[in-house]
Amino acid sequence: MPAPLNPQLEMSALDIFPVREPISRRAYTVLRLRTRSGPIGFGECSAISPAELAALRAAIQGKEASSFESIRREVPVAASAMAGLNMAMLDVVGKFTGAPVYQVLGGPTRNKARALARIDGETDDAIVASIGQARAAGHRAFLVPVPMTHSRNHSATLVNATRQRLDRVRSAAAEGSDFVLDAAAGLTPGDASSLAAVLERSHLLWFDEPCPLLNLSAACRIAGENVTPVGFGRFAAEAGVFQDLLRNDAVDVVRPDLGRHGVTQVRRVAAVAEPYYVAIAPFHDGGPIATAAALQLAASLPNFFIQQVPYPAAGEDRRMRTRLTGAPVETVQDGFLQLPSGPGLGISVNESALAEYREREA
Amino acid sequence: MNRRHFLTGAGGTMAAGRLAGAPGRHQPFSFCDCAMEPQAAPMGADALAAVGSKVRITNLKTFGVTIPGAPPDRPYVFVKLETNAGVAGWGEGTLEGKAGAVLACINDFKEFLIGADPMPVEHHWQSMYVHSFYRAGPVMGSAISALDQALWDLRGKILGVPVYKLLGGPNDPEGVRGYYVANARTLEDLQRLRESAASQGITAFKGGLPNYYEWIETSQKIAEAIRHVQTLREGLGPDLDIAVDFHAKTSPSVAAVIIKELDALHLLWVEEPCPPENVRAMARIARRVETPIATGERLVASYGVRELVEQAVVDIIQTDMNHVGGITALWKVAALANVSSISMAPHACEGPIGMLASLHVDASIPNFLIQECCGQAVPQVRDKVWEEWFGFPAMRMVNGKYPLPEKPGLGFELTEEALKKYPFAGSRPMARVFHKDGSVAEW
Repeated sequence: MPAPLNPQLEMSALDIFPVREPISRRAYTVLRLRTRSGPIGFGECSAISPAELAALRAAIQGKEASSFESIRREVPVAASAMAGLNMAMLDVVGKFTGAPVYQVLGGPTRNKARALARIDGETDDAIVASIGQARAAGHRAFLVPVPMTHSRNHSATLVNATRQRLDRVRSAAAEGSDFVLDAAAGLTPGDASSLAAVLERSHLLWFDEPCPLLNLSAACRIAGENVTPVGFGRFAAEAGVFQDLLRNDAVDVVRPDLGRHGVTQVRRVAAVAEPYYVAIAPFHDGGPIATAAALQLAASLPNFFIQQVPYPAAGEDRRMRTRLTGAPVETVQDGFLQLPSGPGLGISVNESALAEYREREA
Repeated sequence: MNRRHFLTGAGGTMAAGRLAGAPGRHQPFSFCDCAMEPQAAPMGADALAAVGSKVRITNLKTFGVTIPGAPPDRPYVFVKLETNAGVAGWGEGTLEGKAGAVLACINDFKEFLIGADPMPVEHHWQSMYVHSFYRAGPVMGSAISALDQALWDLRGKILGVPVYKLLGGPNDPEGVRGYYVANARTLEDLQRLRESAASQGITAFKGGLPNYYEWIETSQKIAEAIRHVQTLREGLGPDLDIAVDFHAKTSPSVAAVIIKELDALHLLWVEEPCPPENVRAMARIARRVETPIATGERLVASYGVRELVEQAVVDIIQTDMNHVGGITALWKVAALANVSSISMAPHACEGPIGMLASLHVDASIPNFLIQECCGQAVPQVRDKVWEEWFGFPAMRMVNGKYPLPEKPGLGFELTEEALKKYPFAGSRPMARVFHKDGSVAEW
C-alpha cells in the first residue's frame, strides 16, 4: 500500500505573478506554490497562460512536492511552465528537508559560480559603457553581441565590425576580462564559420549561437572548420538536440535555457554532455528567482562552467531584481556569484515587491 | 538528530574542526613532475566546507558476506559509512569473482571520505573517479558504486526522505515493475510457472540459452537454442513478457542467426547477444534482427554507455547499480539513454542493498522498463536471509512490482550484528567453462 501523503509536502495551491522590469521591459512570471501545512515554494518562468495554470493546478492536487517526475509526464503544458513549477517544487523540498537545493541534488560541487554578464546595448559605445558598469560591479566575463549589419551575407564588413567591437571592449574592460561573442542565431553558417576562423586566436571563451539550428550539418560546419569553441542551445526545445550536437562534435558549450527546461531537465542535459567532456553554461534571461535556481543547479553539476545573468543597464531594473529576492542574489565578486545560503532556493521572495511590480492585465 | 543543526551554514568552521583521528589529507607527497602543480590547502572537500553541512564521515567499514547455499562466486561486498550525526549509510559493491579486489579498492578510498562531509555525493564521485587517473573498470566501478550508495543512503537519512523523493519520484506509488528467473525447462514446469505468475501478478520472466557456443556453430546447436526459446514461449504463453539472456555466450555471427529465428516469438528483449567490448559488433547484430537488444550490465559510468547510445545500437540498457557507479551514475546513464528513447532495465544479480538502491532510481526515471533481481517465483535461501536482515521481504514482488521502501535513505536498517552469522568465506572465481576440445568458452 502506498504511504499516505505527507501534509508538509502535499501541494495545495499555485499562484502566479507576472512581473516586468520598468526600463528593460524584461518580463517573467513568478510562481508561488503552497503546501497543506509545510513550506511555501517559489519558482519562475517566462510566461504561463490561464489554460496552463489551470492544468498545473489540477496536476499538483494529491501530490507531494517531491514527485516532480510523475507530474512532468502527466501534464501537457509548455516546457517553460513546467520549468517554473520544477523550481518551486525543489524550493519546497529544500525547505522541508532544511537543506539548500544543491544539497538535495547531490551538491555542492563548488563553493561559488562563475558569472557571465549579458550586456545590453546596440552600439559599440553603449556596450563599452555597459561593460564598464558591469566590470565595476564585479563582473569579469561578458556576453557581447555581434554587430549586426542587417544584410543577409556580410563577409568583410562583419569581420571588421566584430574585430573593432572586440578590440574596443577588450581595452575598456581591462586585464582579466573574458568574452563570449553572441550571434544570437543571427548569422548564416558561412558567415559564422568565417568569423569563427578569424577569431581562432582571440581566445574568446566561446562563440555563442553562431547560426540558427535549422539543421545539424550547418552547425557542424562551424565547429568542424576551426578551433574557436562554439556554444549552442538557447532555442533548443528538446534535450535530443543537444545529443545530436554532441555526437556530431558540433558543440563545445551546451546552453540549455533554464527558463525553458527547468533545473531537473538541465541536469539531464548536463549528464548527456558529461561523457563528451563538454561544459554546460545554462542560458538565462529571466529574473532573479531563476538566478537563485541557476546557482543551486551550478553547485550540483560536475561540468558547469559559467552562469549567464542578465545585467540590466538601468539601476532601476537592477533594484527591482534585488528587491524581489529579498537579498542580492546576483551580486558578483571578482567574477563569481556566491551560492545562496539557507534552505530551498536560498531566497525569501518579497511578496510586497511582487505585488508592486506585478504586470496588470491590459 | 536535529537535521537543521547539521545542515545550515557551516560557515567554514568545520575545516578547522576536522575530527580527531581522521587521516591528514594534506601531507606532502612526491609526484612525477610531469604535469602536476602542487596545491595549497584548503583543497577538495575542505574548499566546500563553507557551503556544506556539518555532518562528517567518521569511519568506513567493509564487510564480505557469504551466504551458504547462495552462488559462491559472489559473496556480498558491503560498505558502511559512520558519521558524527548518529546515522550510518550502507552500500554494496558485490562483483562476481572479485570480492577481495573490491574490498581492497573500497579501502583505497578511505582517505577520500573519512573526515569529509557526506552530502556532496557528486563531488566525491568525481574525485574518486577522476583522481584514480586510469578511469574505472569493473573493480573500481563496483567500489565507487558501494560508496556512492552509502553516501546516498546517508543523504536520504540526513534529509529525512527516501532517496527516490530526492530524485523526483515515485513514478508509481505501488512500486517498481520487476521480473523473475524462469527456472523451468520442460513444458509442464513452464506451464506451472505460468499459473503461479497469474496468481502472483507477475508480468515477465527471463530465461537463458542452453549450451556453450563456439565462434561459428553447428546446425544442431543452433536448432537446440531455437527450440529452447520456443518452448519458453509455448509454456509461458502469449501474455507474459519473456526476455532471453544470451549472456554473451554467442559470437555476433551465431547470435544473429539464432535471433532471426526468435523474431517471430516477440520477446521483450535478447540480452548480451555478444560480449560487451565491441559496440560495432553489437550493432551489426541489432541491425539484422527485429528483436529488441539489451545490454550494459558490465559497463561502468555514463562514459561506458556513450557509444552504445550515440550509435543507437540497442533498445534497452541494463547497467548494474553495483558496478556502474551507484545511484549517481545509474541516473546519468538513464538520462543519456532517455534522450535517445532507450529504456532502462537495470541488471541486478548480487546482494540486496544494490537492488534496493536500484528501486529508487527506477522509481524516478522517465524511461524505466523493468527491474531484475535474479529471484524466483518461489522464494530461495537468500530471500529468507534478506528478510531476517531487514525485517521485510526485500525484492519480493507484490502484484508484479517491488514495493518501494518508505523509510529515509535507501529505506532499510541493517546491523553489523545481523551480518555476523554469515562470515566472509573468501573470494571465489566465477565458473570456468570450456568447449569439448578444451578451449575457453564464454558463459
